[in-house]
Amino acid sequence: MIVARTTSVAATRALAAALAELARPGDLILLAGDLGAGKTAFTQGFGAALGVTERITSPTFTLVNNYAGRLELNHLDVYRLDTLAEVLDLGVPEMLDDGGVTVIEWGDAVAPVLPADYLEIRLSFCEDLDDDRIVELAPIGTRWLARTRAVAAAVSPWLHEADAPDTTSEETPC
Amino acid sequence: MLIAGIDTATVQVSFAVGGHEGVLASTQSCRARQHAEVLTPAIEFTCRQARIELDEISVVAVDLGPGLFTGLRVGVAAAKAMAHALNVPMIGVPSLDLLAFPVRFTSRLIVAAIDARRGELFYAFYRQVPGGIQRLSDHRVGSPDDLASELLAASEECLLVGDGAIRYREVFEGLKKTEIVEEGLAYPSASSLVMLAHARALREEWVKPWDLQPLYLRRPDAEINWVTRPPA
Repeated sequence: MIVARTTSVAATRALAAALAELARPGDLILLAGDLGAGKTAFTQGFGAALGVTERITSPTFTLVNNYAGRLELNHLDVYRLDTLAEVLDLGVPEMLDDGGVTVIEWGDAVAPVLPADYLEIRLSFCEDLDDDRIVELAPIGTRWLARTRAVAAAVSPWLHEADAPDTTSEETPC
Repeated sequence: MLIAGIDTATVQVSFAVGGHEGVLASTQSCRARQHAEVLTPAIEFTCRQARIELDEISVVAVDLGPGLFTGLRVGVAAAKAMAHALNVPMIGVPSLDLLAFPVRFTSRLIVAAIDARRGELFYAFYRQVPGGIQRLSDHRVGSPDDLASELLAASEECLLVGDGAIRYREVFEGLKKTEIVEEGLAYPSASSLVMLAHARALREEWVKPWDLQPLYLRRPDAEINWVTRPPA
């Protein structure tokens, strides 16, 4: 698990844009986090970096929005769904097969019916600071595990100090 | 009795109208980017070429799948809407039946296989019977290797048809007694649908639009385990 921290919506978008550079056809990204945590903002930054020029809006009511870019972006939200069968109706495996990049908001809740090959990104609030978000990135399955280092490098500007290896204590004898 | 047939279960979109004279007109495309964009103009064009008005249609037939979710829901929704609007009954036919039907003139075991994506196939076994085909098995979902094992176990002359057979050609080509049907017949078609539906319409085997359900083979019953979503 890689843990980063952003201090503004713009920073969340920038982190997403950095990750988009690693995206490959057929990639699946699951976004987790409470209402207002920045899942749609993440997708906006991610999409812009994929070359999407159209405005990216929340797919809560449309379920699936599709955007043209350097890679096609499928933006899904399963928040309104109640059964796993409804998730299958969205046809995620077909989207993955067709070569776009698929981002699913609240995707962690429906992981049992998705291919077990994705990057899970959890956005959570910080108790003290309204605009800060903890961003936890967990690669699941071979596609993303193979890119773990690249993911860490991409989000390195936002790596969480508390999570970084402590190298200072031993090297400062004076 | 005129039947309209809508088939969108695979990458191909097709529409046909016909009845006791066979198929009067049909349109098909397997290069359609979005099924929804092609279907309505195809219906309009095909009916015009057949010189029929929509209100002359007395049954709406639809391919029920198994197939690709995105296409299937477009076709089933359009067919239901059409049947509702015209106030006529419906007939649903499984996609694999439609795939097997055009290659029925053989004594071999017919195996219909649709590409279910993500390394799986939808498949079923058929045999020619007087006037058509008979399905010998349930609709199944499995890997190409699963199907290859079943073909080995069956150990008889097989004709393998469908885009699933073509995509995983290398798995099946090595099998003895197995022939793969080439590209021209790789998808279910609305023409087969109209012909199969006509036989069933004569027996009045129809369903009401609100009772018709697509065939989903990978359908879990479970509710989503919402931990994070606030209660509605």
